[in-house]
Amino acid sequence: MPAVKLDAIRKSFGKVAVLHGISLDVEQGEFVSLLGASGCGKTTLLRIVAGLESTTSGSVHIDGQDVTGLPPEDRDIAMMFQSYALLPHLSVSENVRFPLRMRRIGSREEQDERVKKVLETVQLGHLAERRPRQLSGGQQQRVALARAIVSNPKVLLLDEPLSNLDARLREDMQVELIEIHKRLGLTTIFVTHDQEEALSLSDRIVLLNNGRIEQEGAPAAIYDRPATEFASNFLGSANILPATIEGLGGTPVAVLADGQRLPLATDEPVRGDVRLALRQEDIHLAVRGDGPEALVRTRVYLGARSRYVVSLAGQPVRVLAPNDTVFEPGQRVSLAIAPERIRVLAR
Amino acid sequence: MSDRTENLLLILPGLLLLALAFFLPIFQMLALSVSGPDGPTLQHFARFLGDPYYLGILWRTVRLSLIITAICALIGFPLAYIMARVGPRLRLWLIVIVILPLMTSVVVRTFGWMVLLSRSGLIPELLRDLGLVKRNFALMQTETAIVIGMVQVLLPFMALSILGVITRIDPRLEEAARTMGCSFLQTLRTVILPLALPGIVAGSLLAFTLSASSFVTPGLLGGSRIEVLAASIYGSVTQTLDWPFAAAQAVILFVGVILVLIPYIKVTGRSHG
Amino acid sequence: MVRSVPTWLRAASVVFLILTALILLAPLVVVAGASFSASQFVQFPPDGLSLEWYRKVLSSRDYLSAGWTSLQIALLVTASATLIGGAAAIALHRNQLPGSQSLSALFLSPLVLPTIIYAIGMLMLWSSLFGPVTFLTLWIGHTVVAIPYVIRTTLAVLSESDPFLEEAARTMGARRLQRLWLVVVPQCAPGLAAGAFFAFNVSFDEAVLSLFLRKPGLTTLPVQIYGQLEFSPDPSVAAVSTIMIAITVILIFCIDRLLGIRNFAET
Repeated sequence: MPAVKLDAIRKSFGKVAVLHGISLDVEQGEFVSLLGASGCGKTTLLRIVAGLESTTSGSVHIDGQDVTGLPPEDRDIAMMFQSYALLPHLSVSENVRFPLRMRRIGSREEQDERVKKVLETVQLGHLAERRPRQLSGGQQQRVALARAIVSNPKVLLLDEPLSNLDARLREDMQVELIEIHKRLGLTTIFVTHDQEEALSLSDRIVLLNNGRIEQEGAPAAIYDRPATEFASNFLGSANILPATIEGLGGTPVAVLADGQRLPLATDEPVRGDVRLALRQEDIHLAVRGDGPEALVRTRVYLGARSRYVVSLAGQPVRVLAPNDTVFEPGQRVSLAIAPERIRVLAR
Repeated sequence: MSDRTENLLLILPGLLLLALAFFLPIFQMLALSVSGPDGPTLQHFARFLGDPYYLGILWRTVRLSLIITAICALIGFPLAYIMARVGPRLRLWLIVIVILPLMTSVVVRTFGWMVLLSRSGLIPELLRDLGLVKRNFALMQTETAIVIGMVQVLLPFMALSILGVITRIDPRLEEAARTMGCSFLQTLRTVILPLALPGIVAGSLLAFTLSASSFVTPGLLGGSRIEVLAASIYGSVTQTLDWPFAAAQAVILFVGVILVLIPYIKVTGRSHG
Repeated sequence: MVRSVPTWLRAASVVFLILTALILLAPLVVVAGASFSASQFVQFPPDGLSLEWYRKVLSSRDYLSAGWTSLQIALLVTASATLIGGAAAIALHRNQLPGSQSLSALFLSPLVLPTIIYAIGMLMLWSSLFGPVTFLTLWIGHTVVAIPYVIRTTLAVLSESDPFLEEAARTMGARRLQRLWLVVVPQCAPGLAAGAFFAFNVSFDEAVLSLFLRKPGLTTLPVQIYGQLEFSPDPSVAAVSTIMIAITVILIFCIDRLLGIRNFAET
């Protein structure tokens, strides 16, 4: 039985439809990311699971129980907000105790014990009597996390909880989230617009676009084999080139707009007019070679690597290359791309 | 119970109080102003608008209110600008200096002016000692006294209205203007003044309505010979006991106030939105 | 002071500030000074120094009864305005009722409509419905005038709080009344308290409604002072006025502690 089962969820605000029939099962203990740009409906979907938003149609089951009409206070969930939503008039330990108090979990002593334990889990035991205002952003975030896991909910909902932190703290917090998830095994739904965050944290990524599921799967699968142009663009921001596929029977070859040819993997089934998705780190530059030719337009120095924009078949193509060989703008280069790294997308 | 029910329950006592104890009384005043012994009549309005004495009162009210408002704006704008740009400590003190009179009873403040302006008071004495005025010079029971007293009463409203707008102006705009070659005074005129205008307009409209409708300060400082509209209304209610006539005068004041307040709401609505 | 301002203008603005402060504070200083006078006449600077007039005020039946009336009304108004206005502010802040914007304007309208217009309507309505005005009339009238202050301070505080607190409380299992009492009211608390002090001040100092709704036995302190001023004020009026100024100073201090007077001034 899935921990969370969403069945054909539709949601409209007035005349604006935000979700167009989303069905999704989240297994016990699974960490699922809802990934998408702002306005794709990911937060609305999370709020529907929480019960903060009603559905226009469709049903929500948590742990086998139909909770579609239940308010959040009657669902066994916990949610962490982007702004953390710590109660400013309560101390850290009172904040963490709040869900236990409201849900009447355990006696006063048991509550104290649990609060103490969970605060130690997030390394805040020494700040228990502070007010949220007196804490740094990262500490506030840990309090919010402690408050979300203290009641041991059936589902943990995270609404972009890392987006207010600076880069360094965010990386630390990602590691901490992974460890806590591994230790407690809480079923977790995580909303984010950051593809790296989704790739590094999740067991499964659900990519949303305009209120529909664009693609779902394990991070590596979805990254390596994006099914659509949107997916390949959103994860890893690939270059998209129009091409025609030739080579009936034999090895398929992609012919670019200017007639240059790119060999493809032998098992590629698609034929005719297509689009190619090329990841910028999969393209290799050389002074001479037998690959298609391109013209270097700009080079941006990034430290360990450089980002080039080259002109290929009249299209700008971004390339990420190491700095062992440097190419200058205006130089002609030859491109090499491993056939199995080229994704062919139907038009 | 739904969210809407909860919100309705929370707002209902206030709404009921407002409807029954605020809007209904105003409606009653409107109704009484057109009531006569033989049904609805406009005679109270005709009496007011046909009598040169009352028209004189109306004109004096408008004229004094305009003068008072103008003086308040002239003092209020630089005051608000300085308040917005000084250091935090001095600003706090200035705000206290502005708010203290605002929150003191108007009766007490007027009393203070009575002491200062009376024949043997500090200000006439000073002017006499300096030889600026004749020996029989008096300030009490003059329009000047009303203007002085009212400016002090209304200046805080004006200053706070303008301050609210000026604090929202990005100080970098001034720096930008300076880098483009404006002198300080040019900056003040071309950048701050236009941006502060909504505050000045709002403060002026507010000051005008409050000035036109006050009777405590004008009554005590101007005396019974220099009557203003609000004092005349108070007289009709408490001395001649002619309530329908009092209501008619109040309606005339009300209409004037509404005409001024409509642009006020538009101006403040825009600056807040 | 402002940077890169011409020196003459700096000097001018210092003089301007001093003069303005003088105009604003002069009446209060004069009243306070005159109250310590030893002479029979109200004068400033005072002639001699004594507390005689304070003794006279504290033994005057008229002042004490007016003071008692004012205090009773002000305390009742504080309670009613804070309760009604605070509840309304919470509902207005949630912004879920139809026409919330116009509702807010409606609730603030007693602030912009001159009190004399309201006072005359109140007097006429009450007289036609219930006969002579009573203590209750004044209580209701002052409450209406004080409510906008409570609404403003409460809304100011609420607009700075995290908008997701109530929803967060829901996801933690808090029910409707628990959310209201354990989450929303604590957020409002500083605004409610500041509003309460404003309400007290508005009622205690209010003169216009009190003058229109006065009758023997229903005389507030400002009305009592006004009556004295119409005839021949002696320094005891100055003493009472000074006490009222002192109360205002204390209230401003409390509001500043709770909300920061700057916040109030700039909203």
